[in-house]
Amino acid sequence: MKFMENTKINFMKFKSFGFGLSSVLAFGSIIILLMGVNLGIDFKGGTAIGVSFSENVSIQEVRGSLKSVSLNDNLVDLSGEEIKYFGSQNDVMIKIKSLDNEPENFGQIVINHLYDSMYSKAPENKNDFILSLGSVSPKVGSELSGKAFWSVVSALVLILFYISVRFEFRFALGAILALVHDVIITLGIFSLTGFEITLSTVAAFLTIVGYSLNDTIVILDRIRENMKSSGTVMFESTINKSINQSLSRTLITSLTTLFVIVVLLVYGGEVIRPFSFTMLVGVIVGTYSSIYIASALLATIYQSSNK
Amino acid sequence: MNSAIRNRLVTILFVFGLGIYALLPSLRYGLMDESKKSNLSDEQVDYFESRSIKQGLDLKGGIYIVLEVDLPQLINNLAKNKDSNFNQFLSELKDEYNTSSSDFFTVFESLADENKLKLPRYFINYGKTKEQIITQLSLQSEDSIKRVIEIIQNRVDQFGVAEPTIQKQGNNRVIVELAGIEDPERARDLLQSTALLELMIVKNVESTNTIIRQIDSIIATSNANNTQSDEIDELFDSGSSSELGFSSLLISVGGNLAISSKDLGTFKDILSKDDVNQILEATNSTILTSDSSIKLVNEIGEEEEFYTLFHLFNNAELTGGVIEDAQMRLSQAGVTAGQAVVEVEMNSEGSREWARITGANINNRIAIVLDKKVHMAPVIRSQIFGGGTVIEGLDSIEEAEDIAIVLRAGALPVPVTIAEERTVGASLGADSISKGTLSMAVGLLLVVCFIVFFYKMSGLIASFSVMWTLILLLGVLALLEATLTLPGIAGLILTVGMSVDANVIIFERIKEELRNGKSVRSAIDSGYERAIRTIVDANLTTGIAAAVLYQYGSGPIKGFATVLFWGIIVSMFTAIIVTRFVFDFVTSRKNIEKLSI
Repeated sequence: MKFMENTKINFMKFKSFGFGLSSVLAFGSIIILLMGVNLGIDFKGGTAIGVSFSENVSIQEVRGSLKSVSLNDNLVDLSGEEIKYFGSQNDVMIKIKSLDNEPENFGQIVINHLYDSMYSKAPENKNDFILSLGSVSPKVGSELSGKAFWSVVSALVLILFYISVRFEFRFALGAILALVHDVIITLGIFSLTGFEITLSTVAAFLTIVGYSLNDTIVILDRIRENMKSSGTVMFESTINKSINQSLSRTLITSLTTLFVIVVLLVYGGEVIRPFSFTMLVGVIVGTYSSIYIASALLATIYQSSNK
Repeated sequence: MNSAIRNRLVTILFVFGLGIYALLPSLRYGLMDESKKSNLSDEQVDYFESRSIKQGLDLKGGIYIVLEVDLPQLINNLAKNKDSNFNQFLSELKDEYNTSSSDFFTVFESLADENKLKLPRYFINYGKTKEQIITQLSLQSEDSIKRVIEIIQNRVDQFGVAEPTIQKQGNNRVIVELAGIEDPERARDLLQSTALLELMIVKNVESTNTIIRQIDSIIATSNANNTQSDEIDELFDSGSSSELGFSSLLISVGGNLAISSKDLGTFKDILSKDDVNQILEATNSTILTSDSSIKLVNEIGEEEEFYTLFHLFNNAELTGGVIEDAQMRLSQAGVTAGQAVVEVEMNSEGSREWARITGANINNRIAIVLDKKVHMAPVIRSQIFGGGTVIEGLDSIEEAEDIAIVLRAGALPVPVTIAEERTVGASLGADSISKGTLSMAVGLLLVVCFIVFFYKMSGLIASFSVMWTLILLLGVLALLEATLTLPGIAGLILTVGMSVDANVIIFERIKEELRNGKSVRSAIDSGYERAIRTIVDANLTTGIAAAVLYQYGSGPIKGFATVLFWGIIVSMFTAIIVTRFVFDFVTSRKNIEKLSI
């Protein structure tokens, strides 16, 4: 089947438009991020409880039940915490901030309270009621945040080093900027949808870093190869030629990857959804950035250094 | 067939065979029905369990818990001559440590400097200089974490969980993973209970009355002195009757003093007053509440819960260290008949002590105290020989069983707190498995259709290699005894998507070479040659990301990183070596003029 063969699209003609679009998206994302990201309990500390009722419940009902929870002989109002459905209207996920003087077994106390106060809608066996319980102390939360931050930074540095050795520093610069671009925009869109950032989203982000780079390198590899024959004269046309040559590969691979990600998003269930969504956005942004950030930046860098 | 091709075939078949062999136990075990599984001998179960791909807690359901040794409490236990300065320091230390990410003893040292705390005053047994003391204290903390791990190991072993994992994290944490736990609440209590058993003599009624009068007068004076204080106002607002003092909170139930559950907070506040502490220390006594409550109807007809108060000699006569065995029994006779009790047997030294104590305290009451809660306080009628005793007043058979376990396993030297917990119910785990499997099947099918549509026969070859990628990857996971987690399943699906990529790069190159007018044979050769470099470069960078993830991640994330990393390696093998072989094999047999690509 012939697909995108011998295309002669002048990608670099739209370079300025690409830079503009990316700047707007990145800038918008940064503003969204500055307005506050929805950090999960992994990084902020707190308790997340998933419970499964035997019939549909309304969020109001659950909120009402959490109005007064008895903790350490004090009544505490937890109705202001984040409560949302988890997949179906039977299942509810509740996220509670860390409290001062939180009793041991806090999550279990809340589960027991919900079970007792909404007994008529709860399953017979209490062990079927508990879907999941996660609790992270603020101390562990801050440790995990630090680790996550350094893991992303060290991955970027290692990759920068690798590309600098295999290609040259100018290539690496474009590639890394493309990665930063991908991560920021994906993070922005991700935050806009209200998903919260957890350990598995960080994993998804690192995978995007790997994936987007994969894409970038395939194109950079072509550029390097074509540069051997044409040198750095007419650099933009060399880049255009390289992008066109690898275009069918770029699109086919992105499509197959997108297929499986969409399948994950549709069939993979609630637990994995934030992960799949991050991958979906990341793959699209990553494919775009290989062309319009990594390659276009390279063109700009070469042009300015040749003047 | 020439010898070069034959050698490659042998290598590939060998790898495939290895993959299938590694995967066989998982398949056989996974497909076995429950009745057959229960007939397996222990060795067979061990064999299958160790050779099969393990499921993570997020798939199997279970509890992952990180326990942290309460180091501030350990310091408090080790300190002598504690005064208000020290208590102030300790509470600051707790706050500071809980919010900072530095090492405990770094915080300890800087805070001690800041407060100009004279460490030798409190820790003279551990050295004369600050450095000596800190070294010794950190040795003590290492020692206690070792003991905590041993004891938790003991408890888990006796609780009977399949394949528990217990490991040390950092220098003051223990990670415990228990798969397939039905009742997470019970497991958590079992891990966390300090299980400090103390046998303490109950003070007589006269001295108890004296101490209550003294506490009353302290409250009265502080009340008079601090009428302006907000804190005190608050205290008295919460407990309406406490304006009259401590005694007004108490009622008499069956010859014991009892306190309503709603007054427990006020009670704790009273006991934490410095003056009250001094009186208790001076009389070598302590006040503890009962473990279980009694329900009584109060004046206005509401049911209220009451806890019994006990005024005890502060020094325990005996502690759990002398216990040799503890068993749950159903009580045979008396008022407790049919109830679960724990029978305790002491070692010879404990038995001698026990005989001496019971002999010396006939007609006194002795309280059996577990984790600072009084379980019972019977009157000693006669001297007891043989070191046996019985703990009553337990709510259920499970509670009795668990207390017996923790008493046998020993007390924790320091309390532990839960730093992190992740519990996944069995139903959510099963749901994730079925959804993950479905996604994988659908994803694989879509990808195969897509590439066959694009690349015709060559697409079939690529599909063949993708299928083998999946089989070999699972085989590697089984060989590595890696744990498959939900993100890991996502990684498998992602590998399917990405492993096509190497094939695509190669095919596109071959097509290009063909367009440039090369023959099929030489197009394949140069296509592969040129593509390999790109594939290696592109995959290695994803490999770097996976390695970083593996380093930093815990549990589920590690599972994902493992799959991603090996997925890259396996997919490079199948794309570069296996598909290449198929192409070479086909083109070597007959001269193909047109490649279906």
